[in-house]
Amino acid sequence: MEDYVGMAKMNRPSSAIAGGIAGTAILSLLMILLEVQTRSQVHIFDAIARFVGLPNNILIGFVLFVAAGVFAWPLLFIALEPYIPRGPDPAARGIVFAFVLWLAFVIAGRGSIGWPLIIVYAGLTLLAHLAYGFTLGAVYASLREENVADTA
Amino acid sequence: MRNGWPPTLAVPDGGYLLGGETETENEKPSGLFRWVTSVDHKDIGIMYIVFATATALWGGTDAMMIRTELLTPGAGPWDPVTYNALFTTHGLTMLLFFVTPAFTGIGNYFLPLLLGADDMAYPRINAIAFWILPPAYLLVRAGLITEIIAKALAVIGFSITSLFALQPPGTGWTMYTPLTTQMVNPQIDLMLLGLHLSGIATLLAAINFIVTIFTERSDDVSWSTLDIFSWTMLTTSGLILFAFPLLGSALIMLLLDRNFGTTFFTVDGGGPLLWQHLFWFFGHPEVYILVLPAFGLVSLILPKFSGRKLFGFKFIVYSTLAIGVLSFGVWAHHMFTTGIDPRIRASFMAVSVAIAIPSAVKTFNWMTTMWEGHIRLTAPMLFCIGGIGTFIIGGVTGVFLAAIPIDLLYHDTYYVVGHFHFIVVGIITFAAFAASYYWYPLLTGRMYDQLLAKVHAWLSIVGTVIAFGLMLINGALGLPRRYATYPEQFASLQQMMTIGAFLIFAGVIIWLYNMIQSYRIGPVVMDADVWNLKSIDQFTREWQWFEERLEERRRKIRGE
Repeated sequence: MEDYVGMAKMNRPSSAIAGGIAGTAILSLLMILLEVQTRSQVHIFDAIARFVGLPNNILIGFVLFVAAGVFAWPLLFIALEPYIPRGPDPAARGIVFAFVLWLAFVIAGRGSIGWPLIIVYAGLTLLAHLAYGFTLGAVYASLREENVADTA
Repeated sequence: MRNGWPPTLAVPDGGYLLGGETETENEKPSGLFRWVTSVDHKDIGIMYIVFATATALWGGTDAMMIRTELLTPGAGPWDPVTYNALFTTHGLTMLLFFVTPAFTGIGNYFLPLLLGADDMAYPRINAIAFWILPPAYLLVRAGLITEIIAKALAVIGFSITSLFALQPPGTGWTMYTPLTTQMVNPQIDLMLLGLHLSGIATLLAAINFIVTIFTERSDDVSWSTLDIFSWTMLTTSGLILFAFPLLGSALIMLLLDRNFGTTFFTVDGGGPLLWQHLFWFFGHPEVYILVLPAFGLVSLILPKFSGRKLFGFKFIVYSTLAIGVLSFGVWAHHMFTTGIDPRIRASFMAVSVAIAIPSAVKTFNWMTTMWEGHIRLTAPMLFCIGGIGTFIIGGVTGVFLAAIPIDLLYHDTYYVVGHFHFIVVGIITFAAFAASYYWYPLLTGRMYDQLLAKVHAWLSIVGTVIAFGLMLINGALGLPRRYATYPEQFASLQQMMTIGAFLIFAGVIIWLYNMIQSYRIGPVVMDADVWNLKSIDQFTREWQWFEERLEERRRKIRGE
């Protein structure tokens, strides 16, 4: 706790959005790394565009992706939080939450990726999503007013 | 979030300040500024460990991509050019930017504690040595970095084609000439500069270790009571002192050949073999630079969970020193197939086989330490025992490779790759994991999830045996290494290897989660004797330091 003495506590939606910003930053960074590291074989930006339903518009797809990561998912997360397993730590719950998001992503964004690249695509996007969920939950937990993790 | 840890008040740990410096410098600044300005050996040690973890994950991604490529006999999903780059950057990353910094970090944190010193001998050089490393690594990986920038710009509609000029280097980690002299990719020059820079960083750290061990020991730590980890770090640093300057010189010569028309490694100059001699005169001691700290950690941790003192302490020290000396006399066994004089070959075979003796001394001493001991199968112990087992496989296959007739058959096959991975993953990485669990409570003030740690240990051991054991078989069947494609009949063995590699990777992810999550919400350590070491009279100096620190914190909380 001492680390955060003097840091203003935020209400739940704002701290969730702060978590969303941190999580989306990490998720985007990992996705870009994945894209570059795999020498553009995965076409992750196309996958993102397909995921948000705009298969031919990468830029708008990416903007929607960021908007969802920063606002939609975090707010959905705090609405669902009491019902997500592996609590009370929000970071552990965030991982479960992100796993469900990843399921949707990996199915909707798969496109024409085939064996054996699908393993890399699925594995690395899973890790990126879990990192998103964990960061979302951890930042949220450290910023919001009541602190469940401390009593965990 | 961190209940009661670290303490509210910054505690001056003293020692690195000279007399006459102001009071205010006693307290560390907070936040990011603390980390970029710190000259405290503990802070620098942690930064080394974090850096090594990040690079290991990156290098591990390379490895997973290599294994994915090899799932199918044909080329794909990546082309052979990318495949060449993958095993090049995988090798360089893991050897020079993961293992070396990881052990330097552990040494930085714990050596002063084990020696009873206040800090390293040269705290500021220590900080410089660390801060050289990230730019060095970025130089080696520069192509990917510029590409990330280019891709990010492309997403928002800007296209700068010159950012794509740097291609990942496909030289192989040994950078053999004439290939490396002739490749036009400018990224190779940046890579050579980055490697040179990392060599300087390693050298600075090694000099610091040597001077610290010689001059900063507390009065009650004599050479005869010096702990085993410090002995191995001292020997390692000695090796670095002799090996790395040579790498630096050879890299500069290669850079000159590439850019300024010198002929060090051309046929009408020194010839491509000169590069191999110079490279391996560095490269083979480098292998022992990596493995000796791992030996030291196993020697240190194993007795703690065996309930007995390390068997044959003196002989472990002597064998460390013997390996240190012999390691400089084995380099030409990498060149048995190049056609060098048979008499030279024979003498290098003799020394290469001989180095198995001190290595075996260690193995037998470890086994004797466990003999009739009270074994506790904690995660660090599992990693030590698993590491000894895999090291035996790696070591014995090394004896075979040291024999000229066998090497002529197995050279440049998967057998060699399997052999050195049994050592590089099988004991070096295992020892690093063992240390990460053993000292976790001391480093963070919290306990890790022991079940997850054991799952990690078993995944690593099983994955290592599958992935690299099958490499030995593939190599014995004659499959050459370094190819993106291979004949159909090796497909099922290759796929099983890939499964083994994925098991190791899954273990690493579990480790990472455990480290981060336990740091947030793991149970707070109240009693410094986490491992019940007092009962077996092995509550060593670093744990005593930890106990004092916990007590100091309690006094503060009570307001005394």
